[in-house]
Amino acid sequence: MIDLKVLTQAVGDLDEKTILTMINDFVATNPSGEDAQKVVFACQQGMAIVGELFETNEYYVGDLIFAGELLSKTIDLLKPVLSGVASQKIGSIVIGTVQGDLHDIGKNIFGSMAEAAGFDVYDLGIDVSPSAFVEKVKEVKPQIIGMSGVLTLAIDSMKNTVKALNEAGLRNSVKIIIGGNPVNEDACKQIGADDFTTNAAEGLKTCQGWVK
Amino acid sequence: MTDAVTMTNERNQLFRDLFSGKTPKRVPVSNPATQDFAIQYAGLDLAECQWDLTKLEPVYDKFCQDFFTDTYPGGSIRIPSHYQLLGSTPIVMSSSGFMQHPEVVGLLAEEYDEFIASPYDCIVEKVLPRLFTELNGAPGKVAMSLAKAMRAQSDDLAYLGTIRAKMNAKYGYAGMIGALTEAPFDFMADFLRSFKGISGDVRRYPDKVAAACDAVLPLMIKKGTLPNPSMLGYTFIPLHMAPYLRDKDFATLYWPTFKKLVETMASMGQNVQLFVEQDWMRYLDYLYELPENTIMRFEYGDAKLVKEKLGKKHIISGFYPITLLQTGTKQQCIDKAKELLDILAPGGKYWFQADKSVINFEAKGPVAENMSAVLEYVHENGTY
Repeated sequence: MIDLKVLTQAVGDLDEKTILTMINDFVATNPSGEDAQKVVFACQQGMAIVGELFETNEYYVGDLIFAGELLSKTIDLLKPVLSGVASQKIGSIVIGTVQGDLHDIGKNIFGSMAEAAGFDVYDLGIDVSPSAFVEKVKEVKPQIIGMSGVLTLAIDSMKNTVKALNEAGLRNSVKIIIGGNPVNEDACKQIGADDFTTNAAEGLKTCQGWVK
Repeated sequence: MTDAVTMTNERNQLFRDLFSGKTPKRVPVSNPATQDFAIQYAGLDLAECQWDLTKLEPVYDKFCQDFFTDTYPGGSIRIPSHYQLLGSTPIVMSSSGFMQHPEVVGLLAEEYDEFIASPYDCIVEKVLPRLFTELNGAPGKVAMSLAKAMRAQSDDLAYLGTIRAKMNAKYGYAGMIGALTEAPFDFMADFLRSFKGISGDVRRYPDKVAAACDAVLPLMIKKGTLPNPSMLGYTFIPLHMAPYLRDKDFATLYWPTFKKLVETMASMGQNVQLFVEQDWMRYLDYLYELPENTIMRFEYGDAKLVKEKLGKKHIISGFYPITLLQTGTKQQCIDKAKELLDILAPGGKYWFQADKSVINFEAKGPVAENMSAVLEYVHENGTY
C-alpha cells in the first residue's frame, strides 16, 4: 500500500520523481476508488504544505505554478481509478480574467489551488465580458466569483462586472473576490467586491472561510 | 533660439546631470500615461487609432498640452500592423484594443540542447515559425509576409517619429533615445519557455536553463545596444521573473547573466534603466552591486529602505502608485507625491516616474485631473 504520509511530504517538497513513481505504482495495483480518494486527499494535504511554504516565503509563485502542474499530472494519472466515485466538493467558484485583460497566470494558480482544496472551479478564461460572468453564474449558481486582472484597466472591468451582476439580480447570491496586481482595499470598495488579494494562497483561505 | 529649443536644452541638461550622477536643477518628471491613455483621453476609439495612425497627431498634441512632462510621453508602443501581418501570438490585441503579451511557448523543453548550441539559428528555425503563424510555411510565402510586416512597421515607426519630432519642437522635451532588451532569464521565460514552462525547468533541468541564459546573453546585449552610446538616452530593461523565484534559483539562474548584461551596457558607456517589476525587496543587496548610476524604476517596495540602501549609488525612480490616481482625492494624490519627494529627492539621484503605466482612461473618472495635478506639483516643487 502507498505510504500516504510520504506522498504528502513529496507533494510538499514538489519532488516530481517521487510523486510520479508513487502514483504510477499505486495505479498499477488496480486500487479501489475509495483508496484512490485517500491518495487524492494526501495530495491535497501536500498542496496545503506548499501553500504554507509560500506564505513563509520559502516558496514563490514559480513554485506554485510548478505545484499546479504536478497536481494536474497526478490527477490525470488517478482519473482511471477514480471514476465512479462521487467526489466531495466543498463549494463552487467561477473564475475569469476580466474584460480587456489577457493575463491568466495568477488566475490559473488560484484555480489549481482552489481545485486542489476541493472546490468545483469553472474557469471562463481570459478577456471575459461581464455578460459571460452573468451567464455562467445563472448556469452553475456558484457560491463565489473570482475576478482576476493585471492591467489597471481591469479595475474598471471588475466594476462593470459587479454592476452587471447587480442588474441581473445575482449580486447577493455570491461572494466576490478580486485578485491581481492592481487590486487593493480602495479598489475593492470601489468595485463592490467582498474581498481582494494579491496572493493566491491567501485568497484561497478567504474562499474557504466563506463556504465553511 | 525658440522657447522650445531652450526648454529642450534645459531638459537635456537635467537628464545629463541625472545620468552622470550630478544633482540636476530640479527633479525631472515623466508622465506615466501612454499612447493608449492619450487616444481615449482624446475621445477616440483605441483600436481604430492604432490601425490608422493618421488620427494620432491631434491626440498627442492634446496629451502634451494637458499633462506636464520632461520626456516625450509616447511610452513603449506596440503597433498592431506588423504583429497582425506576422500572425503574432506573443503580442496580440484584446477586445478592448490593448496590445498584450499572453503566455506562449516558443521553445519546447526537448529543444534546449539545440538552443544552447546555437540560439540564433534555433530562434529563426524553430521559435519564430511557432510564435508567428505567417512565418510558418513555404519560404516564398514567409519571405513575402516578412517583407510586408517590416514595411508596415517601418512606415508606422516613421509616422510616429514625425509626430514625436513635431511635439518635441513644440513642447521642448528632452531628446532621449532608447533601446530595449531583456535579462536573459526573462527572455527565456517570456518568449521561449513561458512562465509555466520555465517554472518547471528551474526544478527539472536547472543546468540547461543556466546554459541557455549564457548562450542567449550576446543576443540580449546586441538588442540593447544604442546606435551611439554617447547619446542622451538609455537601454530599458523591464525585469520580470526574479520575484517569482526562490533565492537560490535567482542567485544561480537569473542574476549572473543579468549582471553581465548591465555591466556590458555600462562598459560601453550606455545608461541602463531597469523597470524593477513587482517585489524586489529581498534582492536589494544584489541591485547594489550593479554599475554606479544604474536607473532603477521600482514598481513596489519600501521607498525609504531603497533610498537608504541604493540611493547613494544608483538613480531611483518609480514607486508612485497610479491606482491612487483612480481612487484618491486630488489632495491625497499630491500628498503622496510630496511624501515620495521628501524621501527620494534629498541628495539627488531621483527621477519622478510612477510605479506603472497609466493605460486606461475613463471619461467620468478622476485619473486625468489627479494626474495633471501631481505632474504640476512635482514640476513646481521638485527640488532636491
